[in-house]
Amino acid sequence: MSTTFTKSMARNIFYGGSVFFFLLFIALTVDTTYALPKRDNSQNLTPSVERGKKVWEVNNCIGCHTLLGEGAYFAPELGNVYVRRGPEFIKAWIKAQPTGAPGRRQMPNFHLTDEELDDLVNFLKYTSEINTNKWPPNIEG
Amino acid sequence: MQYKSQAVAKPYFIAAIGLFVGQILFGLIMGLQYVIGDFLFPAIPFNVARMVHTNLLIVWLLFGFMGASYFLVPEESETELYSPKLAMITFWVFLVAGALTVLGYLLVPYATLAKFTGNDLLATMGREFLEQPLITKVGIVIVALSFLFNIAMTVLKGRKTAISLVLLLGLLGLAVFFLFSFYNPANLVKDKFYWWWVVHLWVEGVWELILGAILAFVLIKVTGVDREVIEKWLYVIITMTLITGIIGTGHHYYWIGAPEYWQWWGSIFSALEPIPFFMMTVFAFNMVNRRRREHPNKVATLWALGTGVMAFLGAGLWGFLHTLAPINFYTHGTQLTAAHGHMAFYGAYVAVVLTMISYAMPILRGRAANSPKAQVVEMWAFWLMSVSMVFITLFLTGAGIVQIWLQRVSDTPMGFMAVQDQVAIFYWMREGTGVVFLIGLIVYLCSFFVKSESKVAA
Amino acid sequence: MNSQSAVMVYEPQAVQAVSREEGLPGDFAIWIFIFAEMLAFGVLFVAYAFTRAGNVELFNASQQTLSQTAGAINTLVLITSSYFVVRGVAAIKRGLSEQCAWWLSGAVLLGGVFVAIKLVEFHAKFAAGISLSTNAFYMFYLALTFFHFMHVLMGMIILGCVIAKARRGGYSARDHVGVETGASFWHMVDLLWIILFPLVYVIR
Repeated sequence: MSTTFTKSMARNIFYGGSVFFFLLFIALTVDTTYALPKRDNSQNLTPSVERGKKVWEVNNCIGCHTLLGEGAYFAPELGNVYVRRGPEFIKAWIKAQPTGAPGRRQMPNFHLTDEELDDLVNFLKYTSEINTNKWPPNIEG
Repeated sequence: MQYKSQAVAKPYFIAAIGLFVGQILFGLIMGLQYVIGDFLFPAIPFNVARMVHTNLLIVWLLFGFMGASYFLVPEESETELYSPKLAMITFWVFLVAGALTVLGYLLVPYATLAKFTGNDLLATMGREFLEQPLITKVGIVIVALSFLFNIAMTVLKGRKTAISLVLLLGLLGLAVFFLFSFYNPANLVKDKFYWWWVVHLWVEGVWELILGAILAFVLIKVTGVDREVIEKWLYVIITMTLITGIIGTGHHYYWIGAPEYWQWWGSIFSALEPIPFFMMTVFAFNMVNRRRREHPNKVATLWALGTGVMAFLGAGLWGFLHTLAPINFYTHGTQLTAAHGHMAFYGAYVAVVLTMISYAMPILRGRAANSPKAQVVEMWAFWLMSVSMVFITLFLTGAGIVQIWLQRVSDTPMGFMAVQDQVAIFYWMREGTGVVFLIGLIVYLCSFFVKSESKVAA
Repeated sequence: MNSQSAVMVYEPQAVQAVSREEGLPGDFAIWIFIFAEMLAFGVLFVAYAFTRAGNVELFNASQQTLSQTAGAINTLVLITSSYFVVRGVAAIKRGLSEQCAWWLSGAVLLGGVFVAIKLVEFHAKFAAGISLSTNAFYMFYLALTFFHFMHVLMGMIILGCVIAKARRGGYSARDHVGVETGASFWHMVDLLWIILFPLVYVIR
């Protein structure tokens, strides 16, 4: 009897504990949602930036690069590339791919239009202005 | 096997193993591209190989979970599966959808794939691990619902055990959290915040419930330890999982634009996330030591113990190494992350699925366990894969430490590409060990075909 | 199956004898969780102490805005409620289910008083525009007290379940592990507040 009771106590603690922490997580999420506008640079979320995010996604840039440290580790961090290289370099670089350098990691040419390039650059600028608590540690990302 | 309908697990396990092989082949391609940068370019650019590698991983593990469920739920519920036919239809739908998706990745430029699969209707593509076209994602939801329905109906009409309830809860959570993959806001911070509700709450949340349930099931079978004891500890373990892992989600919120307090909450709670993995290891070894029978399937027992150890090392220890915010500031998004990711996935989820297959497949083929000869071959596979995974992780850790030093910590930081050249040696060694892993996998495949002189009766 | 139930019929008395003579009160499983709780709160307290050491002026200034009176009343309220819980456990040890239920109900009522006072405090802060992101002190103050607050609510629910079962006659002088378990949890909640109050409200 005692053994069964112990298992059901463990089960009750499981249900109670999970609900407890889930509720706490929701509370923190609500607070985060209210706190975001001061940090997420959403005042600069223009239609161009939105389009730029789409360009970023449909070309799967995250498949090689990281953005704010998340993604693939094959190519450089791009969350701060706007600050590191500037808009003109970024556009020229993308247009010039692939480099064809033997043995070097290759980036495809995505045949982006000028508008798409501008949108993408605006997206990267917007990203670089998000308050990331001073990450990355330096310009190299 | 005790119930005829458990047989539907077999095709699921076979598909899982087949996709696992595909995953490793593409992993080797990527590993080579790390050092011979233009290998297979432009036919298979790195990002394409990567999405095939990661998506195959997730899909084969899902096939594994489903097969495990179809095997253990009828036995736990003491009744036949609600609808074996539905299970088979679901199987083919999932397999075909998966195959078409992978072919889509390989044969069509991603932007084109997006255009023709409805991404303009609802943009869900282009995020890590969630690269699937909209229609595939919808397909996954349908497959998940069909599977959950089948399993739930089976549990409802039969005996309800802690194991089947915990499994069902984990699977339900898996399905519910997958729905967040449809939410892709323009606000990048919100995008990332909720992306982790799929990824973290899966692998550091509900998937651990699935892991615990499967492990508990196999341990009851091979050790004969009293169900009450094992199920009580299962509850304790999964409680620790959710108590640490839910707020532990915060360890992904340090640098993505979320408020600073997540550095405190995330660090403190995620630092405790190794506890359930530690408990699982102690639990597994304890149960085996206290066993009341000598089950003929020794290799399944080995896999069960291996799951505990590798999961604790990969998920628990390596996770802990870079979870505290002050450390993570320097290690975020480096090869250290990749090192942890590989051993964690292998130790926790690959290993538990292979544990289940190791236990169940012989039974599905008509015997209690494979012949001693076949088991030895499978044990070789276990050691080859596990040890090579440890070395893969160590080499990537080495690459990560050098990368962190040169690119993040140093007063005169080097650029990303220059640093990658510096750590190339680690990548070569990783690739070599990756080949050993593949050899281990081939040995594993062979273990299914070892002719036995004397079969152990079912 | 039969042999298992045969085992289970004999086991309970052995286990109960053990828990009465030695070992921790209540079920062992709860102590794993109490340990985890102490660990989590302990780390939070230490983190608070460290952060305070690096921001003494900020912490002192912000601390002034807290109501020490409210905190002190809450401390008395919780200590008294723990006393009620002790009386409740003593009652069930003598087989007095009804009395046990009344003592525990008193404890829950006092818990409600604590909750009400805390809500007033929280409201005052939120109305003044203070949140988790205002500064480091408020982050800890709100985080620690809210986390504790949720534990008080949880404790009230647990005691509520114990009360319901006691009223149904579900406990006896020989078998009341659930009461001791619930009591242990409540005492833990009280103890945490006894550390929290001086640490966050008083010590300058």
